[in-house]
Amino acid sequence: MPTADAVVVGAGLAGLTAAIRLADSGARVHVMARGHAATHWSAGTLDVCGLDGTATPRAGIDALARTSGHPYAVVGGHVAEALPWLCDRVAAGGLAYAGDLDSPIRHTPTAVGRTRAVAIAPDAQSAGLRTWAPGEGLVVCGPSGFKDFWPGLIAAGLARPGVWRGSPGPARVEALSVSFPGIADLRNLDGLRLARLFDDSAWRRDALERIARDLSSRRLGFRGRIALPAVLGLEDHAAALADARRILPLEPFEVPLPPPSVPGLRLYRALRAALLARGGRMQVGEPIARIDIAHGRITAVAAAAASREFRVKTGTVILATGGISGGGLVAESSGTLREAVLELPVEQPGSDSWLAVDPFEVGGHPLEAAGIRTDAELRPIGPDGETVGPREVRIAGSLLAGQRYLRERCGDGVAIGSGWLAAQAAVR
Amino acid sequence: MTIGELVRGAHAEAVGLSADECLKCNVCNTVCPVARVTDLFPGPKYVGPQAQRFRLDSLRSPGSADPADVHDDGTSHPSTRSPDRSVDYCSGCGFCTPACPADVKIAEMNNRARAVMREGHRPRLRDWLLSQTDLLGRIGVPLAPIANLLLQNRLGRLFAHAALGIHHAAPLPRFASRSFRSRWRKRQREQGRLGHSEDGGTNGYRPPPSRAVVLFHGCAANYQEPWVAEAAIAVLERNGYEVIVPDQVCCGLPMISNGLYEQARNKARQNFGTLADLARLGYAIVGTSTSCTHTLKAEYREMLDLDDADARAVAEATWDICEFLLDLHEDGRLDTRFGRLDRDLPYHPPCQLRSHGIGIPALDLFALVPGLRAVDMDHDCCGVAGTYGLKREKYAIAMAVGKPLFERIRGSGAREAACDSETCRWHIAQATGLPIRHPVELLAAAYAAGDVEVPPGSQDARGVGGVGRLPTGS
Repeated sequence: MPTADAVVVGAGLAGLTAAIRLADSGARVHVMARGHAATHWSAGTLDVCGLDGTATPRAGIDALARTSGHPYAVVGGHVAEALPWLCDRVAAGGLAYAGDLDSPIRHTPTAVGRTRAVAIAPDAQSAGLRTWAPGEGLVVCGPSGFKDFWPGLIAAGLARPGVWRGSPGPARVEALSVSFPGIADLRNLDGLRLARLFDDSAWRRDALERIARDLSSRRLGFRGRIALPAVLGLEDHAAALADARRILPLEPFEVPLPPPSVPGLRLYRALRAALLARGGRMQVGEPIARIDIAHGRITAVAAAAASREFRVKTGTVILATGGISGGGLVAESSGTLREAVLELPVEQPGSDSWLAVDPFEVGGHPLEAAGIRTDAELRPIGPDGETVGPREVRIAGSLLAGQRYLRERCGDGVAIGSGWLAAQAAVR
Repeated sequence: MTIGELVRGAHAEAVGLSADECLKCNVCNTVCPVARVTDLFPGPKYVGPQAQRFRLDSLRSPGSADPADVHDDGTSHPSTRSPDRSVDYCSGCGFCTPACPADVKIAEMNNRARAVMREGHRPRLRDWLLSQTDLLGRIGVPLAPIANLLLQNRLGRLFAHAALGIHHAAPLPRFASRSFRSRWRKRQREQGRLGHSEDGGTNGYRPPPSRAVVLFHGCAANYQEPWVAEAAIAVLERNGYEVIVPDQVCCGLPMISNGLYEQARNKARQNFGTLADLARLGYAIVGTSTSCTHTLKAEYREMLDLDDADARAVAEATWDICEFLLDLHEDGRLDTRFGRLDRDLPYHPPCQLRSHGIGIPALDLFALVPGLRAVDMDHDCCGVAGTYGLKREKYAIAMAVGKPLFERIRGSGAREAACDSETCRWHIAQATGLPIRHPVELLAAAYAAGDVEVPPGSQDARGVGGVGRLPTGS
């Protein structure tokens, strides 16, 4: 049985933040997860708060921390330190981020022709966040035949009134479909396949030059930016982005696509590399079967394996298993939510509310906020406020109660802040 | 299909119904090595949970078709088959299942779908031939000089390429001039312990389970690489274990991969006949082939639906050799007096090892050997996936999948590399021109190096444990 100073359960943003922080402090850390999740679905931005009318992520944290029971009340103060630290770790893997807690929250285009609120984004998306100067135009450009990015639909959507939420949008929005080399006959064209084509430097130069040619034949008559699907390379992203900036006559920025999300994959890969470089271990694929506890203390974490369980000896566990979609919370047909690993008490609405409230209700669905309630050091607590479960277990990420991350867009901030704090508390 | 049939199907076949858990999130497609390199395979999601809705009859086990589903000509009803044949391009590496956040048994589902697709058709001669590793070994070893000549002969290979569909450049290993079992019997005879090897020791002296392990050598170590089995024996004996080599047959994995489920079930039952009782007596069953041991651990139950007491006893007793040795080490019982092996060692953990869910034990063992600088190449799959990369229409895919790995190994400047699985070793050796060793060969060599540095006293090598050379390949 291998031995670790800490086992992190879950390989999303929260789990990997905690694991890298632990490995940074010299701890032997072992990440165990039953599969990949949030990073592979996410837009790759680090969303701290997206509430309407919030000027900066810092203001968003302050506002949410005052909401009753929000995890920012516990972890919000740590995001300021954790965020630049994490961006440094990721940048070392060749993935640069722009923005910080005081950057303005701006509205940037989506792949369905709406906008969403973002402040901290990968370098490749950052040009989409700048304010639009008078007269500046936008070209939405994608490869023809690619079903996850329709330039015409997006351009039409972005020209609609109100879509830029009160900020000035581009003076004009144009759509441009370009035929990319050798993709017409591909049956299985998704963002990931395009990204891998962009990893090939000769192919991508050809593709980018075709865009440049088509742009010049259009005689747009404006300066501005060009929105591209987020497929500018996976392994060789930094070079692909540099090529795009060099070859295209307009300033390019990426627009994230439906899953599999290439910006999310890049983030996952950079986080994984940072962990492995610090001697951390990662095992993805088997659900946690059990956490062994003796006299109230954790002794080992056991994952299912091909036959016998695979056990790691440890005294400390950080639970970052996610919410309902990540599998950290399991919805039972009896109308209750169950915590998947330790059967911790779940703060949750009564089952009568499950179907009584419209899931798309503007005020939010009560199930969104379900999760594990913790003390100030992220130890799980029960309804009476007393800590529950074994000692030395901490909760991080979207398993924490009180957040409505779909609406508040606070998931990444909570993940980073809580991952950082959980690791720090565990090291102490 | 009625609700009652669905419920019965769910009981018999959890794999097929796990498609219901699919979120359509595409994570599986991001880890698929085959979809990474070819448009012929649309990815595990599409041929798996997505296509599953067209395959209601895969809620039964392949090889157990309901006569009502089968036409007179032996083909199954079209509405119950895979929507197209693209699932045939799945290599079976198994990466999709562990990547899934919703526990969908994608790889298993696809393997069953392939088997069902082939039901009612006579298997292609090529697929049948490639899955008969036992039979080929029994013929090939006695005829090794001729067989090896044929295997390496360019004209012969071109003929096999055209007539059979076995790619002319694919690695076909040389047969050993003497099988491992025959060498082992000779050694046992010389030591007067023959009964031991013939029947697992049931009529002779047998050491207690605390001091002996059962070796499942598999076909490759028996017919092609006896030195791998002998390195394992040397390392196990060095750590105070006697090794029992009971009668055994091919684990059946090549048959499972080629859709011959009934034949694979026969192999499994024959293995249960000799292994299950030993497992119940408490012996660990240790193997050097990560694919054979994974078959014993999981595939008999998950693929072949042989989930009985014998299957469970064998599964729970089975260990990969490195898993077993690392477990010894973690208990403080591994002899760590390894000598220096000053070298860089690129290491590729094979797909089948990762399906074990046991981490990467070889890396921890390599770290115990002074001077050995083992580096995980951190690449998904070498491409060959058992017999997949040998096939004419798939060889180019296999080479493309493994290309970054081959480049990394060659770029490392190392003079050899390591990998736990035999078909991967042969494929990587062929592609890189370097010898690729099983981790246990390096451990045996490190013990031997230590013995030279410090004479081992009472330790005797007993004629085993010589670290052999890899065949030069075809």
